[in-house]
Amino acid sequence: VKLQLQAALGALVVGLATIPFWGSAVLIQFGISALLLATLAQSWNIIGGYTGYPSFGNSVFYGLGGYGVAIAMVQFQQSFTFGLIVGVLMAVVFAFLLGLPVLRLRGHYFAIATLGLAEVMIAIVSNLEIAGRNIGLVLPLLKGDTLFFELALALLVLTTLTVAWISRSRFGFGLIAIRENEAAAAVMGVNTTLYKVLAFALCSVFAAVAGGIHAYWLTYLDPASAFDITLNVKMIIMAVFGGPGTVLGPVLGAFVLSAVSELLATKVTSLASIFFGVVIVIAVVFMPRGVADLVRRFGQVRWRYFQESVRAHRI
Amino acid sequence: VALLWQILVNGVLLGGLYALMALGLVLVWGVLNIVNLAHGALIMLGAYACYYLFTVAGLDPFVALPVAMALLFCIGYLIQRYILNLVIRAPMFNTLLITFGLEVVITFLAQMIFSADFRTVNPSYAGANFVFLGATVPLVRFLAFGVALALTVILWLFLEHTRIGRAIRATAQNLVAARLYGVDPRRLYAVTFGIGAALAGAAGTLYGVVSQINPYIGSGLTGKSFAIAIIGGLDKSIYVLAGGLFLGIVEALTALYIGPTYTDVISFGILVLVLIVRPTGLLGRTA
Repeated sequence: VKLQLQAALGALVVGLATIPFWGSAVLIQFGISALLLATLAQSWNIIGGYTGYPSFGNSVFYGLGGYGVAIAMVQFQQSFTFGLIVGVLMAVVFAFLLGLPVLRLRGHYFAIATLGLAEVMIAIVSNLEIAGRNIGLVLPLLKGDTLFFELALALLVLTTLTVAWISRSRFGFGLIAIRENEAAAAVMGVNTTLYKVLAFALCSVFAAVAGGIHAYWLTYLDPASAFDITLNVKMIIMAVFGGPGTVLGPVLGAFVLSAVSELLATKVTSLASIFFGVVIVIAVVFMPRGVADLVRRFGQVRWRYFQESVRAHRI
Repeated sequence: VALLWQILVNGVLLGGLYALMALGLVLVWGVLNIVNLAHGALIMLGAYACYYLFTVAGLDPFVALPVAMALLFCIGYLIQRYILNLVIRAPMFNTLLITFGLEVVITFLAQMIFSADFRTVNPSYAGANFVFLGATVPLVRFLAFGVALALTVILWLFLEHTRIGRAIRATAQNLVAARLYGVDPRRLYAVTFGIGAALAGAAGTLYGVVSQINPYIGSGLTGKSFAIAIIGGLDKSIYVLAGGLFLGIVEALTALYIGPTYTDVISFGILVLVLIVRPTGLLGRTA
């Protein structure tokens, strides 16, 4: 079964890779943004799903990746690749420097501190001359949605492979132990601080590359769009909807929710924005463990699944 | 020195309003252990309630205040009774996420119904001011400050001296024991959240009088309320007041000496810094 699943996934990736050669421009563009969102959801999964530290500020990494590319290309006339490296470095440094103190916080406090950091970054960048202040930066135009699509797909595959490796490695077991009981993990000899910061840094790498691709693709970057706070809502709900702490759940969640929200947007533009809010409320009440858990257990308990989910947490 | 004095007065006036904003958040956080990310959105609804009561019904904003509070109490009661009570025993991340979702929904509905335009509430005395020890004090800001202070005191008296207030405090300390004494937690939680929302409504009304409003002000106000809750801790409403005044003064000083665009950096910077250095709050205990 394992082998069949792997073969099917491989075929799916190959199938997706052909989309730019036959799909319409709209489909390709939708694909790029869906792939980038899936990458964000998957990278959030490392810190939020496996380690149990629900960061509300991963948009910072995305924004830093974007600004790395934008500043390198616009202000210093460097290549896109060079910009990506700069962006990733900035994100990793940020993850280490702020991860160390912030990852000492638990629960509400961690979530709020990361949210606060995201807000601070918007405010700081909109005051930086080199980052174009409030007005933003205009990147050189590259006509090549095919390239961006393949890049985004490759990034998502790489991120997912990393998460798959985490799910069966000693490192990943350490993260899961931290999620389940941090004190016990420390007693068992897990260097919790190191593991948490590494997980944070790892998820910052993928989010930063996604941000870099996004910036070059849109050819325009300003603080509000680069550090878009609602991105945090999206990546978290996609991961939670699909199944946090699973390898394929976040990708599944991202694809399903992106597709539905895109369909809604073509009918009534404004509906797409409320969609994520409604999905969050419904998902948290009725299926807090995500689609992955629903699929696994629906066969046994049928519709009682939702009833039990509500019963478990209501007062 | 005259300028500094003026800035301090401005900061204190703003701080009183900030404290009122944070008060509802702190109450809900302390009693229900829910960090309500939709708190700012409720403040925004309060501001719109004031705007419509003023423009359509012709009510003076300070007369509209209790009406807006009653309205927000009902909204808050229903939200807690029929949505949040369903997830109250779930891990903290789930309750955080669901209020995030509510914030998105409320903001969207507000934008659809009220439109995204900036609104202002301009009562006839909007431009009036008086001089206090050499500092100019705008009348509406002074009134807003006074009402905020009064509501803080009223909340404190309510929690200390009424039956429901004592039940709320008892539940915050020990849910099981409170239940044994005949407290119905479902209703009590709904009432507590309703009071939190009513305070948000009051803060929104006053905010609408002193500042421009649009449907998107919510998330920024939630952030400021957090910063105050973190600075002051969840113990006493008097600490919340101190936290609010502190943030108000710091923001006013920042605007003067560093630049008005940096006020958000400073307030969120303080938030993060306090969390890192002293996660129990600068004053007293945090949950």
